[in-house]
This record gives sequence, structure tokens and C-alpha cells, in this order.
Amino acid sequence: MSPPGLPASFPWLSVLIFSPLAAAVVVAVLRRERAVRWWTLAATLAVAAAAVPVLVGFDPGTPAFQFVEDRPWIPPLGLRYTLGVDGLSLVLVLLTVGILPLCVLASWRYITTRVREFMIGLLVMETAMVGVFCALDFVLFFLFWEAMLIPMALLIGVWGGPRKVYAALKFFIYTMAGSVFLLAAIIALYRQAGTWDLRALMGRELPLAFQVWVFLAFFLSFAIKVPMVPFHTWLPAAHVEAPTAGSVILASVLLKMGTYGFLRLSLPITPDATRLLAPHLCWLSVAAIVYGGLTALAQSDLKKLVAYSSVGHMGFATLGIFTLTRAGIEGAVLQMINHGITTGALFICVGLLYERLHTRELAAAAGVGRQVPVFAGFFGVFALSSMAFPGTNSFIGEFLALAGAFQFSLPVALAAVPGVVLAAAYMLRMLQRVAYGGPQNPDHTGVGDLNLREVLTLAPLLGLVFWIGLQPGPLVRLFAASVGHLLEQTAAGAPPLAAAP
Amino acid sequence: MVNDLAVIGLELAVVFAGLGVLLADLWLPAARRPHLALVTAWVLGLILLASFGIEAEPVRTAFGGMYRLDALALFFKRFFLLAALLVTVVAREFREGFEAGHAEYHALTCFALAGMMLAASAQHFALLFVALELVTVTFYVLVSFPRRRVTALEAGVKYLILGALASAFLVFGIALVYAATGTLAFEALAGRLETFTGNRLVLAGLLLVGAGLGFKLAAVPFQIWAPDVYQGAPFPTTAFLSVGSKATGVVLLLRVLFEAVPSLTARSGPLLSVLAGLTMFYGVLGAIPQRSLRRLMGYSSIANAGFLLVGFATRSTEGVGAVLFYLAGYVFAVLLVFLVATLVWRGAEADEIATLGGLGRRAPALAASLTLGAASLAGIPPLAGFLGKFLLIRAAVLGGAENPALYWLAAITLVAAVVAIYYYFGLVRAVYWGEEAGSASVGPVSRSARAALVACAAGVLGLGVFPGPVLGWARLAARGLGL
Repeated sequence: MSPPGLPASFPWLSVLIFSPLAAAVVVAVLRRERAVRWWTLAATLAVAAAAVPVLVGFDPGTPAFQFVEDRPWIPPLGLRYTLGVDGLSLVLVLLTVGILPLCVLASWRYITTRVREFMIGLLVMETAMVGVFCALDFVLFFLFWEAMLIPMALLIGVWGGPRKVYAALKFFIYTMAGSVFLLAAIIALYRQAGTWDLRALMGRELPLAFQVWVFLAFFLSFAIKVPMVPFHTWLPAAHVEAPTAGSVILASVLLKMGTYGFLRLSLPITPDATRLLAPHLCWLSVAAIVYGGLTALAQSDLKKLVAYSSVGHMGFATLGIFTLTRAGIEGAVLQMINHGITTGALFICVGLLYERLHTRELAAAAGVGRQVPVFAGFFGVFALSSMAFPGTNSFIGEFLALAGAFQFSLPVALAAVPGVVLAAAYMLRMLQRVAYGGPQNPDHTGVGDLNLREVLTLAPLLGLVFWIGLQPGPLVRLFAASVGHLLEQTAAGAPPLAAAP
Repeated sequence: MVNDLAVIGLELAVVFAGLGVLLADLWLPAARRPHLALVTAWVLGLILLASFGIEAEPVRTAFGGMYRLDALALFFKRFFLLAALLVTVVAREFREGFEAGHAEYHALTCFALAGMMLAASAQHFALLFVALELVTVTFYVLVSFPRRRVTALEAGVKYLILGALASAFLVFGIALVYAATGTLAFEALAGRLETFTGNRLVLAGLLLVGAGLGFKLAAVPFQIWAPDVYQGAPFPTTAFLSVGSKATGVVLLLRVLFEAVPSLTARSGPLLSVLAGLTMFYGVLGAIPQRSLRRLMGYSSIANAGFLLVGFATRSTEGVGAVLFYLAGYVFAVLLVFLVATLVWRGAEADEIATLGGLGRRAPALAASLTLGAASLAGIPPLAGFLGKFLLIRAAVLGGAENPALYWLAAITLVAAVVAIYYYFGLVRAVYWGEEAGSASVGPVSRSARAALVACAAGVLGLGVFPGPVLGWARLAARGLGL
């Protein structure tokens, strides 16, 4: 299974998962804040570097799981420590390990209290997130899934804004409630199929009624994470109160857990129920797209605006998934990656602005672009990317998702199209205000432009925006085989479409 | 006779340890008496170690079959020894709360422990009653140990009256069973039970016995005493009550239900499921508005009795194994909470959760320990508490094939587990986000307390991530019941 050129037994995935945890232990004994920051940055960069061999050794031609590790874990229960990646999980692992160093950089000045604990929180989050994407044993998956909960709630609740406790509690309760349904589904599946192994569960022929129940349980859990309307109300609160790095992790990776869950679990394990319920979920996605867009249009708080735009963007991802077409799902995966890059970048931008102006009000920030041209440039590109401007990354994803929707059902697709226009409206409104709007504001005099660290934080994301926007082929090839396999498993294989434009 | 004494060697060692502490107190100068706690802890630790030298196979009996040393008994004996060892460490930290009689406290802990260990081996209603009374009577003293505190005395009186009532139920029930069947030995009773099908006297007797044991377990409808007594008792006693005393109820209930009257248990219908559901909900709903830590732990203890009863209700080896594993995780989590609470309040009478405010800044390590304990009790993965609840729910779902009512029980357990998260989260919230409650820094943490904290934290984490060995013991012990 392991690709040639690498020692077959080397547990790359375990290294990826547990090296952040090991780094966190070191952080715990470091004395000086400066050392803590540099060490965490080095550790996250090293983890990102450790992902390179996985990427190089990964064979995109096969949908099978690669880098598989399989060891007994709790023999009396039949639980195994099983890891592996396919195209879908690989791209999300890469996104996770890539975004973490930027989170550290974005917290460099923003986090001033209890730096050590904050960095430990970030590293523990990284372990849990990579673990979710790599786990192939259902209980192991659930363990990592839940392990994200407390560090994230703490990141929001300790380093957040004025209403942090409320936001953290709301986040905690919502996601915990979802997890309970996930747990119930896991146990029910074990009861029915007698295995915890995800690979064995996929392609099991389960009775339809049972599938529907399991699908609904999955749905509740994942829809809260995505979040899909009407389960989204925790998201604005959490985003607004979270520190920049928390928002970035939340937007870039945590929201992907929901869509990843749909792709990894709902579609292959309960294919019949998925086909049965997909039309309803498409409409729910459309509702999210339109609702998110309209609400974002009405926001005066920059962070809230970006948060609601997330609801809309993730709506495109779920729409793509539940069209059950090749174009739709490939678009959805691209949209997941792109949303991670673009929205993460926008949250970093808002954080940078907040560090300078100590406000996130759109009105107060109006016209600041004159003082900080470099910032305005970055901000402009990311805003354009967020509204899916052709040539930027989001364009491809949304285009494919919509193309899938057109194949699936014309009314659904037509209903989703206004979402694109809405995205343009709220993003341009924000960009126009911040970069160009308003008269000279005396509060803005003396506001410094980006320094080298901040440019370095945003530059990789800028590069990715254009790279994926202009040449999505290599990225799509990574997961195209997995998507094809997924469609076979869901047994709704639409006539194959060109993999990527 | 000598053989019998060899079989009960562990209990004898514990009793002699208790007597030794009492005697040493007479000769030691006053200044050195506080060290007795450490000595007790060391001795209990050694006995715990020695217990691992005892083989469960072949099963040995003593006193004409009244006493049985099997895997189940050994599992519980080790559990009780561990609990008592940790309680002794808590008691040492609590010493400012006792005006006098440190040695007596530790000796009484040993005697209660001996009762619990004997109960774990009971194969006869006489031994059951004697062992249980040894535990209960000792606890009357332990609960009201700070004898000038009105709250402790009040708790002691409540425990005495309700405990005496429960004992009366128990002994009356035993008498009825004997009157009807003519035997008190479990094995003989199990053999004769078929001939007494439908006999009201036996049924009434067993229900009364169940009431007496339900009191120990703090299960609905015999749970009323728990919050009041927990709140009034000194911290180490509360900890011991919620771990040791409850587990005594568990092991005796296991023995009675599955060894003395297995055929009747198999026909008991949804009785155990209903009791489990009611107990869980009484506990979790009652815990929500609590402001006193011990009172909260009292309700939490009721809720946990409900969770344990889920395993009983499945009437399967899976379920009983889950119960045993749940208890193993429970002892570490509860002791973690009580250790931190004792270190923060140092024998003071107050235990308002709000006064934990700002602990996250004052004592980050203690705050983290408390969080770990509360999270395990709440059942957050990957801690021991999660795996325990997971195993219980799994057992219920697996049993659902034969008994569909268990599906409902599994669903109810899930809901109760979620509600439970809410009130444990309240603890964490107070620690990290509560109003700063005075800047009084927490005193230095002694080496023994630190070791106990580390051991408990390691237990909570280790049982969650690498549960293999303990789970193996739990299953081995559960298999002995022959379900």
C-alpha cells in the first residue's frame, strides 16, 4: 500500500498527528513567551514539512486508502488504531497543516495573555484535526472529533472578545449535541454491521429504514458543524468572539469537518438514504446560500460579515455534495479548500485591522485603505476571491458546484444563482468601504501598514488564491479518483464530466 | 480454620493496619501523629500491591462457602483499596478540618475498607449483612467526624436515621427470604428458587433487600439522603461515600441479582431499566441548580448510580463488564475533584462553587486537574468517563436485540449524559471564567497530594486511551457471574 521510495513501515500519519502534541508538551516547559512563540512556529512549520513526503508519496491514481497503519488498540472491543488517507482526506490534511503556521503568525501580537496556554491549545487542535481526517476506525474518528471540542471552546472562551463565555458555551453545547447523535449512529452501525472499520462499513448493504435513521443522525451532527441553516446560530457568535487564530481555525478547518463527514461517512455508508434525501438537502443548501448572503449584506461588523459569508460559501459546498454528481462533488471539495484559504485570509485581515483600529465596525474602518495600501491590496484580492471572481480560487469551486446543480435539477440551480450575486454585493460593499470609502478619518492618521511578519502571513494564501484559480488541475487530480470512487459507492454515477476546466 | 484465615488475608491485613494506626497513636508524640496518614497510605498501597500477587484461579472459598475469592471479588477489593488509599491522602490534606483524632479517622477508613472488601466476597446473606453494617456504622462516625460543625452533625443524624431504616429493610428482607426458603446461602437459594416461583414472601423479602442495597447505591427511590449527607460530611468522607460506599452497593447487588436470584432477575422485566432511567434523571436534573460542590457531587453520585444501573438492566456480561470499567474510571475522576477541592478549601466548611473563581490564574495546575476530573465525569473523550458511558450504552444497544426496551434505555442514557455535561461544565466555567473570588493564593501542595493528583490524572487519561488491561480484568470478573 505504501508508495515506492519510502520505507513501507514508517508511520507518517502518526507522526503528523502526534508531533504537534509532542511539541505542546515542550511548550509547557518553556519559560519565556518569545521562546514559546518561536518554538510553536517552528513546530507547526516542521509538521507542515512532514506532510510533504505524504504528498510526494501519495498515488493519486487510486481511490484506495494509502499510508495505512493498522494496529490493535483495545482488543477486547475490537477497536483498532487504523489510519489512512485518500484524496479527500489528504487535501484537508494539507490544508490543516498549512494553515496552522499562519495561525501562529496571526497570533503573534494579538495574543498577549497566557501565550503558552494559547499555543498549547493550537497544537492540541492540530493533533485532533489531522487525526479526524486520517482516522479509519470509527471510534478513533469520534475520539479525535470530540478532542477538538474542548480546546476550541477554550480558545474562544479564554482569549475571546467581550461575550466570549456565551459564545464558547453556545459552541460547546451545539457541537456536543451533534456529537451525541454521531455517537448513537456509530453504536447503531456497530450493532448492525459488527465492525468499527470505516472501510468495511462502506459498501455494506444496510436496510433502507436503518440507513435513513443513521443518515439523519449523521446529518444532525454534521449540519451543526458545517453549519447548515437552521443550525448555524452558534457560528456568528463564535466567530465574532474568537481571537483571530481561533476564527481562522474555525473557518478554515472546523467547518470542513461537517462536509468531510458527509463525504466520508454519509455518502458511502448510507448511499440509499442519501439518494432519497439529497433533494431536500439541496434545497436546505440553497437556503443557506441565500440566507447567508442576505444576512451578510446587512452586517456592520466586519467579522460578522465574513462569518455570515461563510454560511453562504459552505452552502455551495453542501449543495455540490448533495447534487451527487462528479462536478458537484469535485466543486464541493474545491470549495472546502478555497473557503479555507480565502475566509481564513479574510479573518486574518479583519484581525490585522482590529489590531490597528481596535474596532471592527465597517463605518469606523471606512477609508482606512488610503493609509495602508499594502493591506488594502491583500484585502481586495481576498474579497474578490471570496465573491468567486474568475481567475481566483473560489471561482472554480463555485462554478463546478453550480454546474453539478444544473445537472441535478434546474430549479435548485436557478435558486442558488442569486447567491453568487449576493456574494458580490456584500463583498464589494465591504471592500469599497474599507479600501476607498469615506472622507479622511482623523482616527486613521498614523496607522501603520503591514510589517514583514504580516505580509508573510498573508502572502502564502495570496499565492494559493491565484495558483488554484489559474491552475486547479494538480489539486483536482489529487482527489479526482477518490471522488469517482465515492460516486460509485453512492451508485449515482452521473456521466463523467471533464475533471476540471 | 487456618486455611480460611489465609483466604481472607487481605481483609486481615487491612484490619491490622487500622488497629496498628490506633495503637501507634497512643505512643507517638503529638507532633508526629500527622505522619500516620502517610503511613496508612503506604500500608494500603503495599496491600494493594500484594493483592496483585493473588490468583483468582482457582476460586477459593472460606467459612463454609460464605466467602468467595473470585475474579469479581478481587477486582472490587483492589478498587476499594485504591479508593481508600486516595481517600487517606485527601484526609491528610483535610486535617485542618478535624480538631482531633486524625489517627481515628484513618483507622475508621481502614475498618470501613475491610467491610467493603468482605462485602465483595459475600456469598451468604449473613456475611452480606455484617459486612454492610461494618461499612454503614463506620460511616456514621466518618460523616460527623468534625464534631463541632452543625452541618456535619446534621448530616450524620440524617445518615444515621435513613441508614438505620435501610438496614432494617435489609434485615427484615433477609428474614423473609429465610422464612420462605430456609437458606441464606446464595448458591443454595439460586438452586431452590424455582420451587418458590410466585411465592410472595420471597418476592417481598428480595424487594426489601433491594431497598437496603439501593440505599447504599443512592438509587431512586432511596436516593433522598445523598445530597444532604454529601453536603454536610467532610470532604474525604464525601469522596469515600461516593466511591467506596456506592461500589459496595454495586458489588452486593451484582452478587444478589446474578448469583442468589438469577432466575428471578431474568424475569424482572423492565424494573431495572425503569429504575436506571429515573435515577439518572433525578440526578442530572437535580444537579443543575446546585451551588455547593459537595451537593453537586451528591446529585452527580445519584446520576452515576443511574448510569451504573444501565449495566445491570442489560443483564449481560457486556453490561456488567461496563459497570466495572465505569467504576474504575469513576474513582479517579471523583478523587481528582475532591483532592482539588480539599487543596483549595483546606478543611474549611464552605464549598461554594463560585469561590473557585479565578483558580485558573491562582493555581493553573489544580485548575487543570479539576477540569480533567469534571471532563471525565461528564464523559468527554478521550477520558475514562467517556469510555465507561460508551461501554454502557453499547451494552444496552447490543442487548436491544433481545429486549427492545433497552434501545429506549440507551437513548435515555445518551440524553442524561448530555445534560450531565452541562452541570460539570459549570465547574469548569467557575474555574476559568468565574468572578475572581479573593486573591488568596492556594497554599503549597504537599508531595503526597501531588503524587495522588498525578496518579488520578494518569488514571483518567490512561483508562481512556489504553483501557485494554483494566477492561480485560473487568470482563474476566464479569464472566465469573455466569450470565
